[in-house]
Amino acid sequence: MHVSVTAVGADRPGIVAAVTEVLLDHGANVEDSRMAILGGHFAMVLIVALPDGSDPDALGAALQRPAKSLDLVVSVRPVAEVAPELATGAPYVVSVYGADRPGIVHRVSKLLAEQRVNISDLATHVVEGDPPVYVMLLDVTVPAGADEAAIEAAMRVLAGELGIDVSMRAIEPETL
Amino acid sequence: MSVRPVVRYPAAVLKSRAADLEPGPAAEAIAADLVDTMRASPACVGLAAPQIGVGARAFCMDVTGHRKARSVHGLVVLINPVIIGREGGEVTREGCMSLPDFTGNVRRAERVVVEGLTPQGQQRRIEADAFEARALQHEIDHLEGLLFLDRVESPTTDVFRRKRYAPPDRG
Repeated sequence: MHVSVTAVGADRPGIVAAVTEVLLDHGANVEDSRMAILGGHFAMVLIVALPDGSDPDALGAALQRPAKSLDLVVSVRPVAEVAPELATGAPYVVSVYGADRPGIVHRVSKLLAEQRVNISDLATHVVEGDPPVYVMLLDVTVPAGADEAAIEAAMRVLAGELGIDVSMRAIEPETL
Repeated sequence: MSVRPVVRYPAAVLKSRAADLEPGPAAEAIAADLVDTMRASPACVGLAAPQIGVGARAFCMDVTGHRKARSVHGLVVLINPVIIGREGGEVTREGCMSLPDFTGNVRRAERVVVEGLTPQGQQRRIEADAFEARALQHEIDHLEGLLFLDRVESPTTDVFRRKRYAPPDRG
């Protein structure tokens, strides 16, 4: 079975080691994971394989020990078994940036959802300054048959409304 | 002469330094298999001997017709190649037939000069740029036991990498 494990806390050395020590003790295997410092907090999201018959609650209880000592908010939740789906469509990178204002992530992601564009990776960052600059980068998959030029045009219209800059370009990995 | 299966990681041959190769019939046989195997995969523009399971310093390359190619030397087969010059740098998303399902941003020199021997023992020097230069560096990395994963730039922080450090104490 698989569980999601998340942990967030003020950044300091030793968080990954402490959390994964508990996982190892429970025979858990870290499969896909992302960890990053976000706004000074260390955040980790892991999809973890547990041995058959394991109790996710027992793992959650055991994780309370590092959670207390490192002041982390930890959660463990079973996740449905899904076969990894190979993306069908064309990979693009989308760059969105401009003066920070509420609604950028929502408006851009809503437009992409309406066009059936799948977001596979998204990161945002506020660069302090006067005014603060908001930067959002996305890896997306444009479904086969979609009109890429129309999606890009819609993005430009939205960028005009929000007073931000948007660009979108195809990623062409070169297999050597 | 035959098409060989392309070896995939974690085959040990992909992570070992390949051995020098003497020009002659053995080198020509490896070269023929490399070219046959490369030609058998339509998108393949280069193949190193470790990728067909042979731990020898040989590769083939042909970027003819590739839209990102500038210099084009046609079919190149070299043994014991050495990069003797490199200039510039460019990051491109790269993949490898020996490591399917993964791609990563890799910085490579934009221009390289490579010297090596033909399988028959003739000295050859190639000055390449753009995509051909990238292909040369990728294939020669294979002879060192290096995969593109060993060269990948920060996986997620190509833009956000700049860290803010506390200003140094000034006394």
